Amino acid sequence: MQSQERSPTEFLNNVIGRPVLVKLNSGVDYRGILSCLDGYMNIALEQTEEWVNGQLKNKYGDAFIRGNNGIKSIL
Amino acid sequence: MAMSATNQLLPLELIDKCIGSKIWVIMKSEREFTGTLLGFDDYVNMVLEDVTEYENTPEGRKTTKLDKILLNGNNITMLIPGGEGPEN
Repeated sequence: MQSQERSPTEFLNNVIGRPVLVKLNSGVDYRGILSCLDGYMNIALEQTEEWVNGQLKNKYGDAFIRGNNGIKSIL
Repeated sequence: MAMSATNQLLPLELIDKCIGSKIWVIMKSEREFTGTLLGFDDYVNMVLEDVTEYENTPEGRKTTKLDKILLNGNNITMLIPGGEGPEN
């Protein structure tokens, strides 16, 4: 079985429009639908939920995460 | 004595050889990952599959299973090919 998502760039192109979990270095997690992102790993999310220590803290319709916040992982 | 250029293995070549196999990633912070390496780029951002995340806290180690992740290369300190993780 061939995987379509080899390099980080290909992975990101495949994951746009899908539900993602974005973990920041600070420990805060954001769940939402990935609308787009750029080379700085700035990220735009829709239907965003903000999770801190496993608790839902906030909901945003649209959210922009600046890439300098040390985005750790997306899935 | 210096090795000839053909015998040298550059760091990124070593990681390239790891594609498709298990790798253990240690971050700057108290965090580690193991998983199958699917690919990486010039920044050593990595795509990993069947991942276990280990968070080392004063209360103990917290593990999280993740299906498929993009890991930002900015905070990586060490990569261990074939690494079975901190538990063994």
